[in-house]
Amino acid sequence: MKPFRWICVVFLLALPLTAQGEYKTLDELTKAYSVDKCKSCHGTVHKEWEASYHSQSVVHSLGGIRNFIVVGVGKEYDEPMSKEHLLRCMGCHAPQIKDASESLAKEIASLIITAKDAKSRSKKNAAKKKLAKLNVNCIICHNTMIKVAKNVRGDPRPGVFYGPKGGKSSAHKTEKTTEISRSVFCGQCHGIYTPPDGDTIGCNTLYGSYQDAYRGNGGTETCQACHMGKKKRGHTFPGAYQVGIVKEGIGLDVQAMGIKLHPGKWIPTAIVDIGLTNKAGHRIPDG
Amino acid sequence: MVLEVTAKTNKGKVIAMGRKEYWEIGLDLDGEHRMGAWQIKEILDLTLPPRKTTTERFITELPKGTKSAEVEVKVTYKPAKTVTLNVHRIVKKLTF
Ligand code: HEC
Ligand code: HEC
Ligand code: HEC
Ligand code: HEC
Ligand code: HEC
Repeated sequence: MKPFRWICVVFLLALPLTAQGEYKTLDELTKAYSVDKCKSCHGTVHKEWEASYHSQSVVHSLGGIRNFIVVGVGKEYDEPMSKEHLLRCMGCHAPQIKDASESLAKEIASLIITAKDAKSRSKKNAAKKKLAKLNVNCIICHNTMIKVAKNVRGDPRPGVFYGPKGGKSSAHKTEKTTEISRSVFCGQCHGIYTPPDGDTIGCNTLYGSYQDAYRGNGGTETCQACHMGKKKRGHTFPGAYQVGIVKEGIGLDVQAMGIKLHPGKWIPTAIVDIGLTNKAGHRIPDG
Repeated sequence: MVLEVTAKTNKGKVIAMGRKEYWEIGLDLDGEHRMGAWQIKEILDLTLPPRKTTTERFITELPKGTKSAEVEVKVTYKPAKTVTLNVHRIVKKLTF
């Protein structure tokens, strides 16, 4: 082997953070995508992310994913579980599973069933704890999903973290990208999904409403502006579960009048006119 | 999301003036309501559209002799079966 090639091999080994490949165990996969070490330098961002639903994107949707495995694949498709089927959900809920081996994908599917259906609580919790390590994390957003224009800009490169500024760091490579600041970046997961075989998944249709109803009616803000920029929300990504942002999204105007109807009978009658203004960037509610 | 309007008369009687639900219905190819992400192929959008004001009007006759009433308008939001957020509550006093 020529020395140059050796350099490349050593270089790749030194950057395991976003390694591509086939992981055969859950430990290997979650280690390759671990974001524990980001804490020491990006402490605030890490805390915010931990408080967001992105950090719970499998365990918070467990019931629905279990139903897909047991009812969807098991009964309606009448097929054995496979990585391809699991990715119909995990393509968004835990995209790192694309790097799992076929047998690991099946193991993850059984863990999901155990976490929901096991008789013993301790078995359930143990499975849940393992699954909690699968989520939409820093590496997923700042590397894996930087692919909206991949044929023009190239695939995301291993070990590089793409961000809005691309500030230099000795800890890892960074690259500036406009993609992470665009709504279509979020739309990859917050819209209708078409897997390679074409059998669409309608988990989420919010991006369609953003594009056609919000932008289509003159709205110009991005997802990032409302969900991250405003009120220093950062990486907490508040949504339907936080009353603060929900209040902000729904304007309420009430006009009410008491009159007496039907001459002679004079029935007291209440007339109430209500205006509900959607100030979000998409339909309310979504779902 | 639910909009609820009630009137409470000066005699303490509570009268429902109306209720509206805003939601999305996921449908399969046979027009059946489905919950599974893999089953849903079309959406019937009965939600509040963005950048628009949706208006509702409620007219209700109250018991004869009612002198005044408090009209309560409530907006609640249910992101999940077990979670309810109280988003808005406005009370207006009417006299007759
Ligand atoms: C295109 C990306 C995408 C795919 C594919 C996808 N989901 Fe989702 N899913 C999301 C997003 C984004 C949310 C959160 C949106 C929200 O809460 O408004 C979500 C939320 C959910 C929730 C609700 C969580 C809650 O708020 O209670 C369940 C359950 C769920 N997904 C199940 C599934 C199942 C089952 C599949 C596969 C059949 C699937 N999803 C496929 C993106 C996806
Ligand atoms: C759901 C996707 C998503 C996840 C998960 C995510 N980020 Fe980000 N991050 C973004 C977006 C989008 C921006 C840029 C927003 C903008 O346009 O200003 C950003 C900005 C940043 C920035 C630069 C601005 C700042 O806030 O300092 C850093 C650093 C960063 N992220 C680190 C992280 C780390 C570390 C994690 C994990 C703990 C993480 N991100 C998880 C989407 C994500
Ligand atoms: C030893 C400290 C250190 C560690 C550990 C570290 N980073 Fe960074 N990171 C930096 C510095 C310094 C910068 C450049 C200045 C800035 O933007 O904060 C940076 C920049 C970034 C950016 C680009 C932000 C932008 O503005 O474009 C992202 C994304 C990022 N880091 C993600 C991560 C992730 C993900 C991890 C964990 C896997 C991580 N970093 C671990 C120090 C670190
Ligand atoms: C890799 C896929 C992915 C990307 C990229 C992504 N999200 Fe998400 N997001 C999810 C999933 C999955 C959930 C739901 C987790 C759960 O509740 O189970 C979610 C949840 C959310 C929620 C909370 C939903 C609720 O019901 O309250 C908000 C808000 C959100 N995302 C906004 C964004 C924004 C803004 C961006 C772009 C900067 C983005 N997401 C990028 C997958 C993604
Ligand atoms: C103009 C501001 C604004 C823009 C732009 C915006 N949002 Fe929102 N979003 C909100 C508000 C306000 C809420 C809370 C009300 C609600 O639940 O719909 C919200 C709620 C959400 C929720 C939870 C919805 C639910 O009902 O479960 C998700 C997920 C979300 N936004 C994602 C996004 C994504 C992805 C984009 C870009 C495609 C985006 N938002 C653009 C303001 C905005």
